[in-house]
Amino acid sequence: MALVERPYVLIIGGGKVGFYLAKHLIERDYEVTLVEKNPERAERIEHELGSVIVMIGDGDEMAFLATTGIERAGVVVACTGDDEDNLIACQLAKRKFNVPRTIARVNNPVNVHVFTALGIDAPISATELLMGLIEAELGGSEMVRGVAVKASGAALVDVALPDLSRLIGRKISDIKLPDDALIVCLVRKGQPVIPRPEEIVQAQDELIVYSKSLDVEDVRRSLSA
Amino acid sequence: MARALAGAGHEVTIIDEKVSAFDRLGSEFRGNMVVGTGIDESILRRAGIEEADCFASVTNGDNRNIMAAQVAKVIFKVPRVITRIYDPIREEVYRELGMETVCSTRLIADLMLDYVITGVNRSHPEPAATAAAAASAKAE
Repeated sequence: MALVERPYVLIIGGGKVGFYLAKHLIERDYEVTLVEKNPERAERIEHELGSVIVMIGDGDEMAFLATTGIERAGVVVACTGDDEDNLIACQLAKRKFNVPRTIARVNNPVNVHVFTALGIDAPISATELLMGLIEAELGGSEMVRGVAVKASGAALVDVALPDLSRLIGRKISDIKLPDDALIVCLVRKGQPVIPRPEEIVQAQDELIVYSKSLDVEDVRRSLSA
Repeated sequence: MARALAGAGHEVTIIDEKVSAFDRLGSEFRGNMVVGTGIDESILRRAGIEEADCFASVTNGDNRNIMAAQVAKVIFKVPRVITRIYDPIREEVYRELGMETVCSTRLIADLMLDYVITGVNRSHPEPAATAAAAASAKAE
């Protein structure tokens, strides 16, 4: 029987995000090492998770990182509460240890763009995600969620149409989108519908748009009233 | 640095999170002062980074300095960007990645080491005793 290697994930930062992420990944049989600089917190995590390896140290320090087995990690996730520390940890992982994929928690949403420009594969802002969800609950405007498609620079954009959208009653083929975007799915009452050109858009439909650029705003603008 | 540059007639803008930090510049300081964090694009823009010829990040946080310098270099394309880094290993790493850095720890260690070995204090060519004698003569 061929041995399938378990993916190795290095998590930097043992706060709430790091802790639950480690727990979740272990349950899914990932190999996980968690790095936490506060010894008391590290001990607590080790006690609670048992099977996780917790290392005490600075996740943005070269000499320490070299002891974590980082060079065989498939993914490094930096999720401390400090954006600059997350950025540096990911840059070191990527450029000095050739880690293929770096994911960073972005505490201040304005830094998402900066992280992308500085080479982080996946900057994730909880605040931004939360704002999108809350906006959806508020209703009124269309809700937009963008999901970056791996490292390709493309995005899947999920647009929930507001009740007064001008697109309701129109054919899919009549909807104008940016050149590099395409409607790939229609979600109606929780069910996926193939967006054939003659399909008529109904109230409360969700459009899933594939966009070759990451400009989610651009897609949103072209679909809004 | 801000005082020396402004004194030499350069246009200087200084960014700090604390307003109280600006007190140290003295009343003669003729540069601009912006309150905020230097890793925030909008703060940098407000400080006029788009017209800057040089950007220096010299907070006491290495990572913060590195991040600010990269924002200046990569996003705003400032022609000359300098970063202060305390940790010598980190400095080496980022120099290899193409950043202009100054490592204060290494500079001071070199100076101290030099004095220990050669007996010459390169940061003050005159012996301290000479300065002390001059000061006490002046006091009398």
